Amino acid sequence: MSGRGPRSGEALARFLIRRAARTAPPGLAARLEEEWLADLTARQSALGRVRFALGCSWAMRVIAREFGAAAAAAAGSASGQRLLVDSGGYDFSRLSRRTVAMIAIVCLHAAIFYLYLTTFGPRDAASMSTPLAAGFITAPHRTLRPTRLPPPTLTRTVIDNVPEPRIPLDLPTQSSAITVVHRSQPAAPPPPYPTPKPVNVVMGGPGAGFPNTEDYYPPAARRLGESGTAAVRVCVGPSGRLTSAPAILRSSGLALIDGGALRLARAGSGHYRPTTEDGRPVSGCYPFLISFRLRDF
Amino acid sequence: MGKRDGDVRISLQTLRALEAFLENPSEELSGADVQKRSGLASGTLYPILLRLESAGWFVSRWESIDPVSAGRPRRRLYRLTASGLARASGIFASFSRGVLA
Repeated sequence: MSGRGPRSGEALARFLIRRAARTAPPGLAARLEEEWLADLTARQSALGRVRFALGCSWAMRVIAREFGAAAAAAAGSASGQRLLVDSGGYDFSRLSRRTVAMIAIVCLHAAIFYLYLTTFGPRDAASMSTPLAAGFITAPHRTLRPTRLPPPTLTRTVIDNVPEPRIPLDLPTQSSAITVVHRSQPAAPPPPYPTPKPVNVVMGGPGAGFPNTEDYYPPAARRLGESGTAAVRVCVGPSGRLTSAPAILRSSGLALIDGGALRLARAGSGHYRPTTEDGRPVSGCYPFLISFRLRDF
Repeated sequence: MGKRDGDVRISLQTLRALEAFLENPSEELSGADVQKRSGLASGTLYPILLRLESAGWFVSRWESIDPVSAGRPRRRLYRLTASGLARASGIFASFSRGVLA
C-alpha cells in the first residue's frame, strides 16, 4: 500500500475522514474535517495516512460521545445531526503497520475467495455433483432342497475261534502286598569322633654349644659404635640343624647388625634346640632375638 | 462548546500531550505537530485536544495563510492559555514532588 505513488492512499484517507466528519456533533463537523485533512498532509506514507484516517474515525466516536449531547442541546436538538453512541470499539489508529498489512492481506484473500465462489463455484459444483441413488441390493433367491441320502447298510461279521489274549507279566512273587517293617528301636547314633589328645608343644631355641654373640659382632659395626637387636626366623629339624636359610624377621635398622645376626644364626646350625611335641623333637620354625651390645671395658 | 470548569481527567496520554506544549508554552502547535512530539495516535490525541480546549486549557485558531499561495490547507493551531499553563505546570510539579494532586 505504501510507496506506490507520492500521495497513494490519500484518497482512501480523505474518504474515511469525510465519512467520519459527517457524524460529528453540530458545529464540529466542518472544523474537524478541515483540521484533519490539513494534518493529513503531514503524513508521508500511504499507510500512515490510512492509519491517521482510521484514528480520526475512532476519535470521532469519542468526540461524539463526549460533545454530542452538549452540542445537540446547544443546537436545540433540531439540526438532524446524528449523534453517535460509543459502542466500545477499538482505536484503529493504534494498529501497527504490520497489523494493518495483515488485515489487508486477509481481506484480499476473503475477496478472492468470494469472487471464486460467486464466479466459478456454482458451475464447478454443478459439474462435479453426481446424483446419488440409494437402494437395496436384492440377491437372487435360491431354494435349497434337502438331499436325500440312501439309508446306510449295516453288515455284521461274526468271528469265531478268537484266541484268548495272553499278556506276560513279570510280577514279584511276594505273596502279600503289604510288608510290615518292625522298628522297635531307633537307629543307633554314629560313634563319636575320637577327640584328639592335647599336644604339649615346646618351641625350640639356641641350645648348647650355640656360638657366642661377641664372636660374630661385626667389626665395622663395633668401630662405628653400632649396636642393636634383630629378630631372626630359623627353621630347625629334629636334629637341631637348620633346614633352610635363616631370615631377618624384624630388622634392627642397621645393615651391619642384621648381617652379623644372620651369620650367627647360620653358624649355630646343629646347636639349636628343636621344637618338641610331647617331648618328641619335630621340625619347626620359630623366631628368636640376637642382640649385639657394646660393652665398656 | 462545552464545559469551562477545568475538570479534566489527567491520564498518561493527556500528560504526554501537555508535555509537548510545555517545551515552549508560547508556541502554537497543530495536531500533527503534537502527534509528532508526543507519539500519540490520532484517535487518542484529538479528543484530548478538544477536551482540554473545552476546559479552557487551550485556545485554538486557524492558521492565517492563503492555502492557494501556500500550496497546502490551513491548519488548526493550539496554544496553552495562562490558566492551562499554570495547571499543567502544577501537575508536572506535583509529579516531580512525587505527589499527584
